[in-house]
Amino acid sequence: MRRRARGSALPSALIAVALTAALAAALADVARTELVLARQRRMAAAALAAADSCLATVAADLPVGWDFGDVLRGPDDVPGTADDGVLAAPPGCAAAARPPAGAASPPARLELTIDAQAASGRRRLTALVGRAREPGAPALLWLADTAALAPADGTLALDGRDPRDPAAPAWAAAAAPGDPAVLDAWLAGRAAVAPGTGAPITAQPPPLAALVARAAAAAGAGALGGAGPPAPAIVLVAGDLAVASPSAGAGVLVVDGTLDVAAPLTFAGLVVATRGLRVAAGASLTVAGTVWLGAPAGASALLADGNVAVARDPAALAAADALLALPRPAALLGLQDLG
Amino acid sequence: MIASRRGTGLVELLVATVLATVVLGMLTAAVGGGARLLATAGRRGEAEDTAQLAVEALLFDVRRAGYDPRGVGVEALAAADASRLVLRADLDGDGTVDAASEETITWVCNLAVRRLSRLVGRQSLPLADDVTTCALGYLDATGTPLSIPPGGLAAADRARVRSVTLALGLSPRGLARSATRLARVALRRAR
Repeated sequence: MRRRARGSALPSALIAVALTAALAAALADVARTELVLARQRRMAAAALAAADSCLATVAADLPVGWDFGDVLRGPDDVPGTADDGVLAAPPGCAAAARPPAGAASPPARLELTIDAQAASGRRRLTALVGRAREPGAPALLWLADTAALAPADGTLALDGRDPRDPAAPAWAAAAAPGDPAVLDAWLAGRAAVAPGTGAPITAQPPPLAALVARAAAAAGAGALGGAGPPAPAIVLVAGDLAVASPSAGAGVLVVDGTLDVAAPLTFAGLVVATRGLRVAAGASLTVAGTVWLGAPAGASALLADGNVAVARDPAALAAADALLALPRPAALLGLQDLG
Repeated sequence: MIASRRGTGLVELLVATVLATVVLGMLTAAVGGGARLLATAGRRGEAEDTAQLAVEALLFDVRRAGYDPRGVGVEALAAADASRLVLRADLDGDGTVDAASEETITWVCNLAVRRLSRLVGRQSLPLADDVTTCALGYLDATGTPLSIPPGGLAAADRARVRSVTLALGLSPRGLARSATRLARVALRRAR
């Protein structure tokens, strides 16, 4: 008769297995909880980034101007219709605009509501948009159209550095709607761009028609002078302007047509030509400030067979802005996340 | 006829005891190690979660600082030094900033008690304990850190702030390494 085996090996092994399994399960639970948290954070971060991206795109697409009345009227430009405040937005998000509480009419500020969705997460935020502190695009040449830009035989000297503050961010050489590579190619080899001047940028087109209307309403009575330091004034020319003798001016020069320069012209402030600028061989245009150009259909906004020099001059532009309030791009003033 | 042996001899007893002790020791060590690993993993996860939540709360608060729908000139940063930051926003658009509501948020690094707190209005909400590193910083538009004088940034310097940084380190007991975060959050205002 065999003696019955007694001992504790099996119970001990079972207890060990049970304890190890419990520990492993607890560890797995901790890991699973962290994974869930990480996944939720990733979704929230992706949705937040999508909302921020959407807001940046929508704000950049807002037209340059003085107020936001046109934005609130919607694409049909009629107030009180269903499309009021509806904004085009990138895929994956929706944007709507309304005036902030207590805003004047037309409002100088907008309240944008952005709803974005990405990676199964949703985010909603409200943003306040106003007008930028500096007028116009931060560029020496601001073109409404680059479709027919023609090469120039003359020289083009561009200096976007701030003469008062060399450490300040420099202006771009040129700005226009669309791909800035077009401007890059146009400037390459033809323009003498001062070191530090920024590369061409994308910008909304300048609101030239509205600017002409505002200049007309401001009753500009100035004119270009022949000699001596000119007093800043609004010079509005209805139709083309041909400069046939050496001239100078300061303030705002608005040509509601083509500015044809056939003699030296010096100007401090803002030069606007709704149908483009021509500088003949042997002539020159020297601007301390900035130049905003429209273009006739199918033609180049700038034909420079002579010499064109544009240098940034914040003081001259501020003087021009004081004479005639200039349009400004939209700028983000604040936001709050709504979850 | 040989009588059957009954009972346990001394040698057998000693051998069994030694073997049992060894096995129990191994089992205890294994289970204890696993338990410590579990506890450490839990503490690590909690510390990392706490640090991440603090960063996300700062992100939330700084992004909306200066929200001013009425355009009355709400100051985004009402006070700013290395251990204290007061953020303000007119969230309800009534033209005023309520000091007793979430329109005024205060962040306080108190290394003396190893705590990071977020005060919503006048209600203090501890965000993290076991804080060993907690420093707020302020950068201007070019990304240059602003020097913080005793008493904090002056109003002119606060207006220059474009982003806020937080260096945070949590070292709960039992963790060999701190849970650290270095966050930089830009204020959402272009001017």
